[in-house]
Amino acid sequence: MLSPGKALKVSIYLSEGSTHHGVSTSSSILDFLYFRGCSGATVLKGVAGFGADHHIHSANFVEISDNLPLKIEFIETRKKVDELLGKLEEMVGSGLIEVQETTIAKPAQISKPKKAPAPEHVKIEGKAQLMRIYIGETDRWRDQPLHEALLRAMRANDLAGATVYRGILGYGAHRRVHKERALNLSHDCSIMISVIDTQEKLQEFLPLVDAMVQEGLVVLSDVDIIKYSHRPAAAAE
Amino acid sequence: MKEQFQARMLRIHFTEADKWQGEALYKAIVAKCMELGLGGATVFRGVEGFGASARIYHARSLSISKNAPVMVTVIDREEQIQKLLPHLDQMIQGGLVASSKVEAIRYSRSDQPSSKA
Repeated sequence: MLSPGKALKVSIYLSEGSTHHGVSTSSSILDFLYFRGCSGATVLKGVAGFGADHHIHSANFVEISDNLPLKIEFIETRKKVDELLGKLEEMVGSGLIEVQETTIAKPAQISKPKKAPAPEHVKIEGKAQLMRIYIGETDRWRDQPLHEALLRAMRANDLAGATVYRGILGYGAHRRVHKERALNLSHDCSIMISVIDTQEKLQEFLPLVDAMVQEGLVVLSDVDIIKYSHRPAAAAE
Repeated sequence: MKEQFQARMLRIHFTEADKWQGEALYKAIVAKCMELGLGGATVFRGVEGFGASARIYHARSLSISKNAPVMVTVIDREEQIQKLLPHLDQMIQGGLVASSKVEAIRYSRSDQPSSKA
């Protein structure tokens, strides 16, 4: 785990086509860094470049060029870099390794502990509300299908769960019949999204529905939740 | 435009194979709803299920089965729904109608005529 302060940034330049013991050098270097406990590494792909042999490698040519430049970067403490450098020099073959001093302003955090606090909605029992939203499959919100946008919004707002249903036949306020047709991918069916959560949660979410749904029907009804459970986080992984 | 009102929701369950006067029952029900001027109706096809006849249907079988469970949802004001009920009595031979009171919010574009419901 890195801490703020002085560190070294190592950049390794190589060609995409180069191999080390039969596998691509970049992936074997990445594996090496990973298993040696390096705190992070990134492989970047160049679009054009030239190296020691003075051949320009570029992605512009129609033929599939497998000699594009690659760059692997990682940041580590001086001690760790010294430890890794010998092996890296051997692996990189004709490539170039550069080490520069850098300062870590903020180290990356391991994201797992953040996940640990269970979502708030875990325990809902008894009285709740069921919200059904009826819209058309072709309805859009900004640049995406409205039902997908609504689902994402619901997820982002921690609603307990939502399901999108596609109707096979239906009509709404405009009397236009939406119909599923055999053997062609019809994209103009009716869509129903159903969400169940507490009344407060759904009331909080309604303004978003207001803003996103131009046309459609929203129906709320009271329901009793009999069971709502999920696997514990550890088991789910 | 936003309009909020108390409504009733019907969920009518039967199968895709059910017929009314030679036509698929679900189509007939949707047509009837339109004829009566109800606000809307949507038909959903189930993936798996069983009903009064206790026969399990599922979509896995390769045969082009027409016996999938089907549900029609109709939502409108109480008095509109009451208009539909006698027709359902006639049309549905074997099936289930569930009815519940709901709170509805209807969104419609103000530049287009909305339903009269």
